[in-house]
Amino acid sequence: MGELKLVGKSLLRKDGPDKTTGKAKYTADRKLPGMLVGGILRSPHPHAKILNINTEKAEKLPGVKAIISGSDTRGIKHGFVETPRYPPDQNILADDVVRHVGEEIVAVAATHYKVLNDAINLIEVTYEVLPAVFDVAEAMHPDCNVQIHPNHPKVKDNFCNIAGKTETQWGDIEEGFKQADLICVDRFESHLRTHGYLEPQTAIADYRGDGTLHMWISSMGPFVKRKKLASTLGLPEGSIQIHKAYVGGAFGGKIDLFSHEYCAAALSIKTGRPIKFVATREEIFAAYRHGQPLISEIKTGVKKDGTIVAQQLRMINNAGAYKGSGVVVIFLAWGFSMIPYRVKNFKYEGYSIFTNNPPRAPLRGHGAPQVRFALESHMDIIAEKLKMDPIALRLKNARIPGEELPNKDNVHNCGLQECIQKAVSKTDFSNRRHRIPNTEKISAHRPIKHGIGLGVSAYFGGSLIYPNGSSAIVKMNDDGSVDLLTGAIELGQGSETVLCQIVGEELQLEIEDIRIISSDTATTPQDIGAWISGMTYVTGNAVREAAGNVREKILQVAAEQLNERVENLKLENKSVLVAADPARRISYRDVYNASIAKNRGDTIIGNGHWRTMRDEPFHPSLATTKGRWSENYAFSVQVAEVAVDTETGEIKLLKATTVHDCGFPINPQLVKGQIDGQVSLALGHAFMEDVMMKNGYTLNPTWLDYRMPLIHNVADSKEVDVITESYQVGRSFRTKEVGEGLVSAILAAIANAIYDATGLRMYTTPFSPEKVLKGLKLLNENKGLR
Amino acid sequence: MKQAIELIINGETHDLFLSSNVTLVEAIRDNVGLLGTKVGCDMGTCGACTVLLEGKPILSCITLAVECNGKEITTIEGVSDGVTLSNLQEAFVRKGGVQCGFCTPGMILSGTALLKKNAHPKVDEVAKALEGNLCRCTGYNRIIDAVLDASVSTSHLQDQGEK
Repeated sequence: MGELKLVGKSLLRKDGPDKTTGKAKYTADRKLPGMLVGGILRSPHPHAKILNINTEKAEKLPGVKAIISGSDTRGIKHGFVETPRYPPDQNILADDVVRHVGEEIVAVAATHYKVLNDAINLIEVTYEVLPAVFDVAEAMHPDCNVQIHPNHPKVKDNFCNIAGKTETQWGDIEEGFKQADLICVDRFESHLRTHGYLEPQTAIADYRGDGTLHMWISSMGPFVKRKKLASTLGLPEGSIQIHKAYVGGAFGGKIDLFSHEYCAAALSIKTGRPIKFVATREEIFAAYRHGQPLISEIKTGVKKDGTIVAQQLRMINNAGAYKGSGVVVIFLAWGFSMIPYRVKNFKYEGYSIFTNNPPRAPLRGHGAPQVRFALESHMDIIAEKLKMDPIALRLKNARIPGEELPNKDNVHNCGLQECIQKAVSKTDFSNRRHRIPNTEKISAHRPIKHGIGLGVSAYFGGSLIYPNGSSAIVKMNDDGSVDLLTGAIELGQGSETVLCQIVGEELQLEIEDIRIISSDTATTPQDIGAWISGMTYVTGNAVREAAGNVREKILQVAAEQLNERVENLKLENKSVLVAADPARRISYRDVYNASIAKNRGDTIIGNGHWRTMRDEPFHPSLATTKGRWSENYAFSVQVAEVAVDTETGEIKLLKATTVHDCGFPINPQLVKGQIDGQVSLALGHAFMEDVMMKNGYTLNPTWLDYRMPLIHNVADSKEVDVITESYQVGRSFRTKEVGEGLVSAILAAIANAIYDATGLRMYTTPFSPEKVLKGLKLLNENKGLR
Repeated sequence: MKQAIELIINGETHDLFLSSNVTLVEAIRDNVGLLGTKVGCDMGTCGACTVLLEGKPILSCITLAVECNGKEITTIEGVSDGVTLSNLQEAFVRKGGVQCGFCTPGMILSGTALLKKNAHPKVDEVAKALEGNLCRCTGYNRIIDAVLDASVSTSHLQDQGEK
């Protein structure tokens, strides 16, 4: 195959003009005649029994069109996970008990916001306040007197409030530790952060007279939403059409079914009118879902030469009041700990613990930043104890191509070793590490200290989670241009551009020749959605197959028309020509007409499908980790260069270097955009962002108090591709994850750089000024003692 | 109490009869029907709703519509004719300053106002002008690049014009 024309090129975003001119339509930009507005009365208590709900006064208010409460939704359950082990546990509207501040109790439909807010204020709820627990250690303590839900029936540990447990092991952990020359024990803790998507949670529902429900939802995949809406509303999936809307960022926070989405549908059905729900920013901060705080307890045994011989991990997640994704993050935390390095003897336990906090959602990386921060800090600690170069320690244990993981997955063309080597050489890492103590001696009075640190991470790409695969349709138009029909949702990552590049490459079209119709459950085929890091791989391959199907049809028709064998033909500039005799050619337009004439009206429609791990029936067990997880592992190494102000405790991330193996970058500029965004997210994680909660209440529910990076908090972000795969027309390709795995190693790198600069080891995030100052003070006092 | 007001939005005059508590962004989106202006927080903290009032960037979610009576407002729809992009719009696309796009209208209006009064801004001047606009996707690097790039191409065009 010849040179690639579209794929691998930094083509401009297809949605760029619409997004820069204000034409791009998001959910809230949809205006429907007679549209009502909806809102939710939420619990003011972290744990309380509902004794009575009185909506009489609210119902009498002119302009109030419908009110629903727990009695209308009794028995309807939903959850992030819905499996036999972890059945759905959330109510749409609270039944008898509220378990966190902000839990949904009553939903109201009204003509205007003024009426809506008055109505919500007129609803009287009588509560019996119950004792509540917020801290994970208190909640899991065997003597905890607050039982939020019964313990998981299958987990027999003597703890309280267990939502779920993941456990697995291989090798012989006892024997492994016996072989160790050094055993190192550490504990790390990550804090609560939130997604910070700019577009608020929004849903519009329009139930029409023909029995169809039309919705626009700010989401991460319309097919997942449709499934959950269908099952909770008791409607066939086919009667619900979720229409396309651009999404103003999600970062994991818009996957699950949210009460307001169900309520929009139910209230539209009840009133016969369209209705819109838009969450206020304060609601999003105080009542919607944040990320996953995680405690990581690590014990590692190593030989003198750095070989890891045993590793034992215990991860504890503060799940909030319902399982949410808490029972998933304890599975993922196992995965993120086992990918990069070979560990012969391994034991893992992950606990998810109920507390009276709002339930949690995935947040870009879904556990990986927490886990890699812990393990990569731990690696540096081990290296120091062994008096070994931290790079050598990592290279000694890092996976090599073709290696099989303990879950029987294969890392295939794993680029980790190369990533480490390139990261070191690109940043002159080894020479610059420890350079700092020398400068310190020269100018002891200078408060700024510089440091450099490195971290390693790896991430899965695509997995078997509903709907498990993607389909795509490509259909030709009379002029040879094509329409691509895909369920893929554009939420900023650039899916529409990337998928069009693939179609263009397969059919030798210009990007302008491809129109994309996307993320509409009625008119586009099913799609996995933008939430398990597999869209370019799974949907991309489905799209490639669909376009390939069209190419085959084009070639077949052209071969007949030109009276030539298919293998002698090639595609060029919307024509098919004989490779050896380019004058003999037929345009796509003529192929299209010939196909209709000769192939019983086929307008040249191609379809394609893709599912990862086609021999695997199901996703891996969340309880035991058994089963295949992914066929695409992406590896990355990130280096952070920081400046620590030892007088103020403030730290700056001066430079982030990302060396990553994303397989084959379909669009390098979009890949770079993903990396920059992730470095920025990690910068916020490290230094700025902190959802401060007290007794279940969010103390800082605005962007003034929850500080996200501003344009003044930019890190210089450089990247190096380690390309391990290639793209060939007509063949399946392997792209690896690039959308969320790169928030992780950089966090660890920052922590290691702080240590390099100051000798201060960070065991908890965020690396806040007060923590740094306190740590430095302690460090100096200890030095004084010596 | 309602008031009759006149808003001159993107050069077109709109006569509106609004309660005094209606915000400018509500008037623009709900009464005039221009939906390019986004609402991210509705409390003046994210900058997504930025529009130009008499050429100066303001937060339309915390500005009352009646205060803008008789004034000129530029929204994202007025930055270019929507077919041919402005230099800055084009630079946002070319440099990768756009991802989810929700902050983009506000960013472009802040950037447009800056370039109008300072054709050759330095990096810190770009940062100062855009410090009220949150972006969660890009990490800002490419947004800065886009504004700098547009300033170069703007001056290029101006130079040509002067000749």
